[in-house]
Amino acid sequence: MIDRWMHKAAGLVAGGLLLAAGLAQAEDGFTLKGEPKIAMLYFDAKNDGGWTQAFDEARIKIESELGQKIQFVEKVPESASAIKPAAERFIARGANIVIGTAFGYSDSFKELAEKYPDVAFLNGSGTTNGHNLESFYGRTYETHYLCGMAAGAASKSGKLGFVAANPFGVVNWTVNAFEMGAREMNPKATTTVIFTGAWNDPVKERAAAMALIDQGADVIGQHVDTPTPQIVAQERGVYGTGHHRDLSQFAPEATICSAIWTWERFLVPELKKIIAGNWKPAPYGAFMTISEGGGDIAFGKVGLSEEAKAKIMAARQAIIDGKHLYAGPLSDREGKERVPAGSSLSDAELWQMDWYVDGVITQK
Amino acid sequence: MELITSWLGNVPDFAVPYALAALGLILTERAGVLALGAEGLLLAGALASIGMQLALGVTGLSLLAGMAAAALVSVLFAVMVIILRINQVIAGLTLVFFCQGLTSLLGTLLEWTNQPIQGLPALALWPLSELPLIGRLFNQNLMVYLTAPIFFAVVWYLQRSTSGLRLRAVGENPQAADAAGIPVIAYRFAAVMAGAALVGLAGAYIAVLSTKMWIADMSGGRGWIAVALVIFARWSPWKALVGALLFGCIEALIPQLAAAGIRLPQYFVLMTPYAVTLGVMIWVALSGRGQNDQPGALGEPYVREERR
Repeated sequence: MIDRWMHKAAGLVAGGLLLAAGLAQAEDGFTLKGEPKIAMLYFDAKNDGGWTQAFDEARIKIESELGQKIQFVEKVPESASAIKPAAERFIARGANIVIGTAFGYSDSFKELAEKYPDVAFLNGSGTTNGHNLESFYGRTYETHYLCGMAAGAASKSGKLGFVAANPFGVVNWTVNAFEMGAREMNPKATTTVIFTGAWNDPVKERAAAMALIDQGADVIGQHVDTPTPQIVAQERGVYGTGHHRDLSQFAPEATICSAIWTWERFLVPELKKIIAGNWKPAPYGAFMTISEGGGDIAFGKVGLSEEAKAKIMAARQAIIDGKHLYAGPLSDREGKERVPAGSSLSDAELWQMDWYVDGVITQK
Repeated sequence: MELITSWLGNVPDFAVPYALAALGLILTERAGVLALGAEGLLLAGALASIGMQLALGVTGLSLLAGMAAAALVSVLFAVMVIILRINQVIAGLTLVFFCQGLTSLLGTLLEWTNQPIQGLPALALWPLSELPLIGRLFNQNLMVYLTAPIFFAVVWYLQRSTSGLRLRAVGENPQAADAAGIPVIAYRFAAVMAGAALVGLAGAYIAVLSTKMWIADMSGGRGWIAVALVIFARWSPWKALVGALLFGCIEALIPQLAAAGIRLPQYFVLMTPYAVTLGVMIWVALSGRGQNDQPGALGEPYVREERR
């Protein structure tokens, strides 16, 4: 019996020592060895019109801010057998800061970060973090809330459509925020969502947008990767709100507002921190509000009165000043309370969001 | 009512590419060449047609460019399987990957990605277009109406012309066809290229008339569905047309149900086209129908005087 106690005590002491060692290690941050050399892995082609193009536009701004060229490789699919050779080739050529751009790079980046402790890793929309690895993503519910306000203001029928890829946390929070923003301008507004099941299928996106407009929707929001819903909106003479980049480039007469990425506003200061040394990645990744440089909005040239724009900009300012959009009291469309009064959703609860607010119409 | 009208109105955009691609595959496979490369040929046709549309803006020429590009790419496949006698399954799959890479590369380098274009205006077939309920079926672009004559022409060719008889003979029994003086290699080459041209036309339809832009990998697996449709239709063009319409109806219905706010389990709905395919395949197998419809020499390279 005593023998067992001794073992347990010894185990506890050893565990405590390990923990202490771990804490000591976590306390001194990551410092580069040698001159910074940055490389990027793009998920798609640099001129894909959306997600990757936003990163490429950020790259050019980062280059001029930091005064150095950034190497990049395009169309690295989300499979370990493609990610690792691409990253390792850059590292072999001397890169010591590697930036990824996809959710599906998460596991490979974790392994790479452990294998190359002297290299800093950043990954857009990733989920893994570590001593020298930080994932980052924007709080897109903020920007889509503002797009929803624009949609609510521009809609005559109060019926809004939304073309989205797949129903999971990241998409659900944009859908809910879009509807909440729309209600801010028109308390009777509803948002009908069609999930296409794909991020990049223009045939399905077109059919979805057409169906929504046929059913009376007069503003089409989107959370898919191609500008198809905006182009359909323009063809059919209704309005739309874009995602990733200012989509009025593709549909100048339809796109009234877009939720855009402003990666350089996050990456330039973050890279400077890495270069300065003693960099400490956020333990659960960086999850940026508008003020921290994840995303922002861009107005198109049509559809919105100056009054509506002023209201939207005031809401934007409130978000920058710290307003949490998922603050209670908030119930889902079945009437179940999701956020009690006086509290707001935690980041973990945001990522798990599987419910919709009143006014969102979806399939099960 | 409204739902049915707009549903039927959107069916052709889904059905026509399936129908044309399946027809092209039937033409090729009736000559005994197993064609699995449709997914790649769709992309080749789509990219070339968008390029031509951006350059000249004449839709007819763009569609022809899509056909020509797919036929050109298929020469590679034809040389591999007919002359070099490489395994047709592997060559077909290789063709898909080759086209996916090549079209993504060219689309990016030439900056054709995401460039919206003008398609063809809808053409109302009066008085059919004024019919209640199904009126919008007769308010489509010209290519939708042309699909019917294309089907008639291919069926007539295969069933009624001497050349079509020879093509089918090559696919059923190339040894006998060769003994009868039919140039087997030439027929197979022509069948591969003509079939590819039709698949390319389907790709051009998706790009120029349906989505009106180029996006890498935009065929989204539709080439594979066309391959399944051919088996489903037991190599009969009319059955393939029915199958394409069935698929088009289901795929066009999915967004309509969601837009109408009908609450169905969404992943079940997205699964239905494939569940229907499985069901029909099983029914065909169990009922014993059409077991002998497959071209006799499908997938077998022909070597003169080779013993079997």
